[in-house]
Amino acid sequence: MSDNPAQAGARGGGGGLGKLLMEALWVAAAGVAFALLVNQISPRGLRLGRDYSEAQPDALSGESLEDRLKAQGLHLIKRPEVEQLFRDPRRQRNAILFIDARDEDAYQKGHIPGACEFFPYYPEKYVAAARPLCDFADQIVVYCAGGECEDSQAAAIYLRDTTGVPGEKLFVYGGGMSEWEAAGLPVESGERNSGAIREGGK
Amino acid sequence: MKRPLLPADCAAVDAVTVAARWLLGGRFIQMGLEKALHPVLFLKLLEQYHMTQSSLALNGIAIVLPWFEIFCGLLVVAGIAVRGAALLLAGLLAVFTAVVLHRALAIQAAGAIPFCAVRFDCGCGGGAEFICAKLRENAAMFLLAAWLLAGRGRALCVRYNWTARGAAQARDAKP
Repeated sequence: MSDNPAQAGARGGGGGLGKLLMEALWVAAAGVAFALLVNQISPRGLRLGRDYSEAQPDALSGESLEDRLKAQGLHLIKRPEVEQLFRDPRRQRNAILFIDARDEDAYQKGHIPGACEFFPYYPEKYVAAARPLCDFADQIVVYCAGGECEDSQAAAIYLRDTTGVPGEKLFVYGGGMSEWEAAGLPVESGERNSGAIREGGK
Repeated sequence: MKRPLLPADCAAVDAVTVAARWLLGGRFIQMGLEKALHPVLFLKLLEQYHMTQSSLALNGIAIVLPWFEIFCGLLVVAGIAVRGAALLLAGLLAVFTAVVLHRALAIQAAGAIPFCAVRFDCGCGGGAEFICAKLRENAAMFLLAAWLLAGRGRALCVRYNWTARGAAQARDAKP
């Protein structure tokens, strides 16, 4: 089953490198074939041609958003409380902060007025602007597109674990932007505090 | 009788090298499974490296990489084509380390925080980790892979060399 490493080393010179590269090539080819095959038969497998940009990372897990948040030590918040926080005068003083965890295009098209942009997959782009606001705020509501959206969860985890925002401050708004717009609540387009606000998402 | 090239206590060395092989292979199996079980999350984490704008290419990487890691990990654990698999794992580790380091430096610059305080989910399969710990782990695994490449870890191998000729040569070379 085994042989001597010293002898192996002695054999390793000369044609050894070519043999090693050939073996690596075979392993690589077999590995790629194995990966494609397993992905094909796996119920969690990805489809090569599908656009997953709107897909939710754990949509296949069957776990509810609330359970997933709880497991991560985060709190879910529902629309009535979110609306209450939005209308709270402390929001004007940045003591209540909204964080939009969607991508830049979605943010520019429309976000909750005053929300700070923080797409968690490019944190280096947003963290410098978001961090002082998070440090100052007493309560932070993080949201994304809505439904079983996970980008808000990813943003909250990043803010807590990497920038040191206390977890007690962070609330994930599960309904997200789709629920907010559907409820006819105000939506701001363009930059943060641009003033371009439309009522009811119209 | 011909004397063995290594002293009799090389059984202990064998045990250590087999443990090292299992450790390296096992870690890759674990990391690959973490990715394979959450493929969309892995895909989203891959996007953060800006490697390509093509969703086809990105999907391809997200499809192949987790199972490829598992495959190579299984080969190393079982002792099949060990040096070939170790070479691929060393190559993967070198690439992973370079991209993770590059990203950590970007996060450090943006957040104005000490380098070792940078913590993010690199998509490596272990959730959010401190960058210095991650780099140390990668360096240790790279050394293990290099050790296997040097011809170590031959004990308890199903088939150390992939090709039949290689296996025959290995048999012939035994004392």
